Amino acid sequence: MRIEMPRILLKTALCVATAGLLVAGVKSDDISARSKKLHFSSIVVDTHDDTTQRFLDGKFDIGARHDDGSIDVPRMREGGLDAIFFSIWIPSKVTGPEAVNRAIVQIEAVRGQVLKHPKELALATTSAEIRAAHKQGKIAALMGVEGGHMINSDLDVLRKFASLGVRYMTLTHSGNDEWADSSTDKPAHNGLTEFGKDVVREMNRLGVMVDISHVSDKTFYDALETSRAPMIASHSSCRSICDVPRNMTDQMMKDLAAKGGVVQINYHVGFLSQEFRDAEKANPEINKAIAQEVQKRCGDNEGCQLIEGDRLTREYVEQGKLPRVDFTKIIEHIDHAVKVAGVDHVGLGSDFDGANMPYGMEDATKLPKITDALLKRGFSEGDVKKILGENTLRVMAEVERVSRELSKQQQK
Amino acid sequence: MLAGLRLSAPAKADDIAERAKKLHFSSIVLDTHDDTTQRFFSKNYDLGKRNPDGHVDIPRMREGGMNAIFFSIWIDGRIMGPPAVQKALDQIDAVHENVIKYSKDLAFCRTAEEVRRAHAQGKIAALIGVEGGHMIGNDIRVLRMFGDLGVRYMTLSHFYNDEWADSSTDKPVHNGLTDFGKDIVREMNRQGIMVDISHVSDKTFYDALEVSKAPLIASHSSCRALCNHPRDMSDDMIKALAAKGGVIQINYERSFIDQAYKDASDKLSGGVVAQFDAITKSCGDDQECVTRKMTDAQKQLTEEGKLPHVSWEKIIDHIDHVVKLVGPDHVGLGSDFDGATMPDGMEDCSKLPRITEALMRKGYKDDDIRKILGGNLLRVMEQAEKVSRELQAQ
Repeated sequence: MRIEMPRILLKTALCVATAGLLVAGVKSDDISARSKKLHFSSIVVDTHDDTTQRFLDGKFDIGARHDDGSIDVPRMREGGLDAIFFSIWIPSKVTGPEAVNRAIVQIEAVRGQVLKHPKELALATTSAEIRAAHKQGKIAALMGVEGGHMINSDLDVLRKFASLGVRYMTLTHSGNDEWADSSTDKPAHNGLTEFGKDVVREMNRLGVMVDISHVSDKTFYDALETSRAPMIASHSSCRSICDVPRNMTDQMMKDLAAKGGVVQINYHVGFLSQEFRDAEKANPEINKAIAQEVQKRCGDNEGCQLIEGDRLTREYVEQGKLPRVDFTKIIEHIDHAVKVAGVDHVGLGSDFDGANMPYGMEDATKLPKITDALLKRGFSEGDVKKILGENTLRVMAEVERVSRELSKQQQK
Repeated sequence: MLAGLRLSAPAKADDIAERAKKLHFSSIVLDTHDDTTQRFFSKNYDLGKRNPDGHVDIPRMREGGMNAIFFSIWIDGRIMGPPAVQKALDQIDAVHENVIKYSKDLAFCRTAEEVRRAHAQGKIAALIGVEGGHMIGNDIRVLRMFGDLGVRYMTLSHFYNDEWADSSTDKPVHNGLTDFGKDIVREMNRQGIMVDISHVSDKTFYDALEVSKAPLIASHSSCRALCNHPRDMSDDMIKALAAKGGVIQINYERSFIDQAYKDASDKLSGGVVAQFDAITKSCGDDQECVTRKMTDAQKQLTEEGKLPHVSWEKIIDHIDHVVKLVGPDHVGLGSDFDGATMPDGMEDCSKLPRITEALMRKGYKDDDIRKILGGNLLRVMEQAEKVSRELQAQ
C-alpha cells in the first residue's frame, strides 16, 4: 500500500496536468488506455455493412470522410475496423436475371473502390489474406451476398460470385426465395428445398460461408444439418432479449455453436431493444410515415433510403416518440450470447449503413467503446479479441479447410 | 549404289515429316476460337474422353499437339440484357469447372506468361474469349466482371449488331462503333482484354483500330481476297491490322476459305445468317444444337454433291496469303472448331500437325512456323498486358 500510494498520486497528478490537452482528443467517449491498446492491436472484423449501396451513385468515395452514414476509410481507421464485409444486397422482390445483373454491378462497385484505394484497402477472400492485410496496415475488404435470390436458382452463378470474391451468402433476405424460407415471410418451402440443400453443399465446396441471418428457424435447422462447415449469422442478435424473428433463440445459438459457428451481433435498435420494438409495434403509423418520407427523399436509391431511414428514426427518438436505445444494449447481447453459446461463438455484425444505430454507436469510430465495455465487464483480453474478430477468422479458416477437402475429392 | 539411291529419296521426304513433327510437338500451338464450351452443357459430351463427334477434347488435343485453347463464350446475339449476362456467366463457369475437373491436363491461364508456364508443365492452357459484345448487357461494369473472371478477349459483335457496334452480317445502324462502343474498347485496353474484330463490320473494325491503344486480333477470320465473305478481312484491313501490331487468326470454316463453296452455299440457303436463323428456330434455347445442326446440314449437302468438297490445304493458302501480304508476324490459328464446318482433312484437332508440315514443305522457317502456331498471338497478349499495366498505373 505504501509503495503503491505515491504511484497513484503521481498518475493522478500527471492526468490533471495533461487533462487540458487530452480532453479535445478523447471527446466524450472515455476509453481506457488498456482498451485502446487491445482494440487497436486486435483484428476487428465486421461481417455486415450496407455501405455498398452508397457506391452505386458513382459519387461516393470511401476514401473521404463523410458527415452522414457510418462507414468510410477515415472513420474505419479511427475506430480500428480492420476487416469489413461489404454486403451485396437488392430487395427480395427483384428476381431472375435482373437480380444476377444487379448483384454483379455491386460486386464490381466494391472491387472498384478497392482498386481506387490500393494503399488503404485490400480485397481479401481468406482468413490468411485478412491477416496479411492487417500486417500491411490495410483494411481487408470482403463481400457477402445478402439473399439467395441473387443467384436466380443457378449454381453456375453462385460459383461465379465465389470466383469474384464473395465469401458468404445469406440464404434469404426478408422474403422467401425460390428455395429457402425467410423469417419474415410466410413459409412456402418448409425450410430449405432439395435444391436449397444443394446450394448449401455447393457453398461448402466453394468455401463460401453459409449465413443464416434472415432465414426462418426451419431453414436454419435444415442448413445446420446439411452444411459440412460451421455457419455464421452475419447480423443477428438474441431473441430472448428482443423478441423478433430476425434474432436467434438461445437454443439456435447453442446449436450453431455446437457445430463451431458464430453469431455476429446486429446493432439495429429494433433488434436490440424490446422496448423499442414494442413502441414500433404500438405506433405503426411512425414506420409508415418514415417509409413515406424516405420514398420522397430517395425514390429508388437504396443507398439513400438506408441512410435517411436511420436519420428519420433518430428524429422520432429526439421528439420522444420512440425510445432511446443506448449502445450498451450491444454489450448486453454479446454478454448474453457468450453465456448461452460460449465466448468462441460471438462476434460483430453491425449492419452499419443499413439499420438504425443506437446512441453511442453512430459510426465505425465508436467501435473501441465495445472493447472498453467488454473489458470493464470483466472479459479477458483474449476473449475480447475473439469477439472482435478471431472467432470469425476461425470459422473462415475452417470453411476453407472443408472446401479444400471437398474440392480434392472432385479432381480427376 | 542403286539400292542406296532408291532409299535416299523417301528418306528425305520422311526427314521433313519427322522434323515437322518435332517442331509441332515442341511448339505452343494456340487456337483462339473453339465453340466447345457449348458442348459442356450436353450430357453426351465429356472433355476428358475421346468423343466420336465434334472437333475438340483432351485426348484429341494431345494427339494434335494443341496445347493452348480459347474456349468461346457464345450465345445468340438476339439475346440481350440481363439474360445474356447470366447465360454468359453460366458458360464461363462451365469452362472453370472443366479446368478444375481435369486439372491434371488443363491449366486456366490469364496471361501469355501463364500459357508458357502451362506448356512447360506439359499442361494444356485454357483461356476464355467472349464472342459478342451483347453479353455485357450494355454495362461496362459487366465487362469488368468478365475481366475479373479471366476473359481475355471479347469479339465486339456476333452475327447481329449489338447496342454499340455494327456487325459485318447485319444492316449498319451505328456507323461502326458508337461513343459508348469506343469507351468499351478503352476499358478493354485498361483491363487487358484483347479487342477482337472478327464478326464486326469494316467500319467497326476501323473505328476500333483507331481507338484501341493495344493491338487488335481477329480471333477467327480468313482472307476476303481468296473468299469474298463479309466475315473475312480485306487485304487493306489485314495491312492496317498488322501495321498496329495485330494478328489475324485463320478460320477453317469452309464457306470462309473457299469461294466455290461459299457461292454454292449462298445459292442453296441464302448465306450463313439465313441458315443460322432457320436452325435457331428449330433448336430453341439449346446452343449446342444450333452448332451441331449447322455443321450436319452442310456435311449432308456436301455428301449429296450439292456443295463442293473443300480441302484443308485451303487453310494453308490463307495463311500464305497473309504472310505474303504483311509478313509472318501477323497470322495465326483460329479454327472455329466445334462451331463451323471443317474442310476435308481437318476433321478435328488431331489433324493440326498437318499445318506445320505443310508450312515446312512450303519452305517456311522453323521460327516463322512457331510464330504462326502461337507465338504471334502470345506477343499480342503480352502487348495488351503491357498497355493494361500502363493504363492502370495512370
